[in-house]
Amino acid sequence: MTFRDVEPGAVVPFTTDNCIKCNVCNTVCPVARVTDLFPGPKYVGPQAQRFRWDGPPDHSVDLCSGCGICTRACPANVLIAETNNRARAAIVEEHGSSLRNRIISDTDLLARFGVPLAPLVNFGLRNRFLRWIGEKTLGVHRRGPLRPYARRSFGSWWRRRGGTRIVDAPPERTVVYFHGCAVNGFEPDVGRAAVEVLERNGLSVIVPEQECCGLPFISNGMYDHARQKARRNIRSLADYARRGYRIVGTSTSCTHALKAEYREMLDLDDADARAVADGTWDICELLSEMHDRGALDTAFGPMPGPLPYHPPCQLKSHGIGTPAMDLFALIPGMIAIDSDHDCCGAAGTYGLKAERWQIAHDVGAPLFEKFRRSGATQAACDSETCRWQIEDSSGVRTRHPVEILADAYRAGTSLDSLDAHASPTSSDSPASLASLASPDASVAGQSTNEPLI
Amino acid sequence: MPSADVVVIGAGLSGLSAGIALAEAGASVFVAAKGMAATHWSHGALDIAAPPRAENAREGLRWLSADERHPYHRLAGDVEAALALLSGQVAAAGLPYEGGLDTPFASVVTPIGGVRPVSVAPSAQLAALQPWGSDEGLLLVDFERFRDAWAAYAARNAAGVTWQATRPARIRGLSVELPTLDRVHNLSSLDLARFFDDPGWRARALEAIRIALPRTGRWRIGLPAVLGIEAHADVLRDAQRSLGHPLFEVPGLPPSVPGLRLFEALRSRLLGAGARFQFGFPVVEVERDGRRVVAMHTESASRTLRLVADRFVLASGGIAGGGLRGERDGTLRDSVLGLALTGPARAAWFDDDFLATKHPIEAAGFTVDDELRPLAADGSPAFENVHVVGSALGGMHYLAERCGDGVAIASAARAARCAIGPSAAVRGAA
Repeated sequence: MTFRDVEPGAVVPFTTDNCIKCNVCNTVCPVARVTDLFPGPKYVGPQAQRFRWDGPPDHSVDLCSGCGICTRACPANVLIAETNNRARAAIVEEHGSSLRNRIISDTDLLARFGVPLAPLVNFGLRNRFLRWIGEKTLGVHRRGPLRPYARRSFGSWWRRRGGTRIVDAPPERTVVYFHGCAVNGFEPDVGRAAVEVLERNGLSVIVPEQECCGLPFISNGMYDHARQKARRNIRSLADYARRGYRIVGTSTSCTHALKAEYREMLDLDDADARAVADGTWDICELLSEMHDRGALDTAFGPMPGPLPYHPPCQLKSHGIGTPAMDLFALIPGMIAIDSDHDCCGAAGTYGLKAERWQIAHDVGAPLFEKFRRSGATQAACDSETCRWQIEDSSGVRTRHPVEILADAYRAGTSLDSLDAHASPTSSDSPASLASLASPDASVAGQSTNEPLI
Repeated sequence: MPSADVVVIGAGLSGLSAGIALAEAGASVFVAAKGMAATHWSHGALDIAAPPRAENAREGLRWLSADERHPYHRLAGDVEAALALLSGQVAAAGLPYEGGLDTPFASVVTPIGGVRPVSVAPSAQLAALQPWGSDEGLLLVDFERFRDAWAAYAARNAAGVTWQATRPARIRGLSVELPTLDRVHNLSSLDLARFFDDPGWRARALEAIRIALPRTGRWRIGLPAVLGIEAHADVLRDAQRSLGHPLFEVPGLPPSVPGLRLFEALRSRLLGAGARFQFGFPVVEVERDGRRVVAMHTESASRTLRLVADRFVLASGGIAGGGLRGERDGTLRDSVLGLALTGPARAAWFDDDFLATKHPIEAAGFTVDDELRPLAADGSPAFENVHVVGSALGGMHYLAERCGDGVAIASAARAARCAIGPSAAVRGAA
């Protein structure tokens, strides 16, 4: 097989030819850092790839969590994590997938039963004995980070409130919200906060037909299932994208799937897929861009104190910096602190698996310790399973940045009403809350990359 | 989109040093690197200026700066201050270095038994720089199952090479079986260093080394450079205490643990100074307005990331780091700005003598003015607000002259000074 025989979309594994064997990827791999079972990205990636063209791939690649740090660290532009993911898909194609992996990847199907039966299902998820049974029979670790199903899905809330409120807005004043399966089934509060923040900034919000982005299937090597989801999402979103609507997501994992993984893993590279990729934004990326244009409402109320923040691996793979940190800096009194830790370990469904849970926990352990010792009452992180992993393992309530922003807007609004009723003398007092909330106070917001400890 | 006073492209020694200097001077700094590498390939000591026959770096510096094409022609006067600055930075991060321009070069053994001249090194390598006593032997140690160090082979070679000033009375190789490694199916310097970070394993490993040492004679021990990463200072102290002989690390094949420590020390200083750092995405577009760069765009998952700044520091590396590219038509271009660079004709790119002498392609790179701004063909700055640092600078042969690290830190210091000069400060305030 030569380069000429390869389908245009299948160039990913060929990037391994650029490998100069420098081992930099192995120095940054969080999984190889904690377990000898995984030989490291260089060995399962560029080294093993040359044996994969004809025979079956080796199986140690299945320990890769897919965090993608190796790809970013590579000085020779080898798509290491992507190559490894494709190798896993080849294993799945040849040997099939476990029942466990098929179940935990099919988030839409799970939500179809989980939300209507929430009281029952959540009892099971909270019951330690049933979780133990689940671990022994299915292989879902009893302490794997799972969340109870919402009593009402985001979609149901959206329909009940009457859907889009700001109607007939032009595309540039409208966003298409891709909430993903986690917001829909587990965390509708994140979706509500996103709608609140977007509408506060005068944007009309549309919620189109959508399914899970398919990332759980991609991560578990089930590309056929993932492609079905991806194609349906692209069909639903492409027309908006082409007309200049921006597609906004609150999960950096889903948005990364729309931007990159549909192309790099699933070989979906037609005009529609490109339009969707080019039109997709992470919500903090969008809000930060609006701030650059002077279009963001910055009337945030004060939220004094430290806010530990963990930028997820998937966010770092976007290559958009850390826009949440830039936004936190606008909140008076807030001191956002970057975790400066590579990975929380969860990596989507990786941390749920009985045989992977310990690895996932060890990968994130220094992060959990930092957050625990920060003394903060809450923390922030942009991806759902990372949030759950951090919250379960550190004990610190961990929320999406947009929820923090929504709180800061509410703090600003309640102060405005305080201010309106305040006596003339109290607003002169430098210690008054109103003075903290003055427009100048936004400079008091600061962020730092300094280590927490 | 991040905006900053200064955007630094590249995160090797020069990029990190420039970023730290700028951030500590109060500038907002965004460091964007396409990946990691330069530090992870280095031996961890600092090559300031060691052309053949120089006795110390000051002499080497004087010789190299006489060539007006050499970066040191402009930068020689900046080296001493830059070295003091860097030494302070790494010491503050818990990784002290010693040595200076007047420290005489010592011959230090390499992992294949050659010798190289060293005068500035981290604590773990310092013992190698001491003069050899008349009865003092060199004992090179390797570890069973660790395939990147071969003590017997290195010892045989080292006995046959020429040492500067003094040399060991005898050189011997020793292979040691360390605990539990038989259960590890894949062993790199990184794995060993992480094992050494663990106090319990470390104690057993050091005991295994100790009992394998010769019973008699005066020895100095060269160990593979794997003495811990996070707990390096503790590992070094424990090893010095328990082995009973002076010892030093011999840096080996990548990944270089001493280089990794240097990178982590500088990275922590950079973030501590408030700079932002993103790696993984190359510059794919440069927005310009006449002779000013307005913004650089780095690749992202879709679209690009627009980095707006007053000044740009180009620490994008040389041939090995991907900062310079040879085109099929024989032109040499830098990979960020796309400027044609000074360099040899294509026929001279393929010298048979790859490493031993001054390879012509090594000298390829940017021609710059005193502010390290890249020059256009007419000799005027091609860009007013771009400063080039590190091995992207042309005119040096960093292998033969052993000057890469000195050029990196001196150019970083110069660029930082120029970028935060009066003109930049005025623009920042406006």
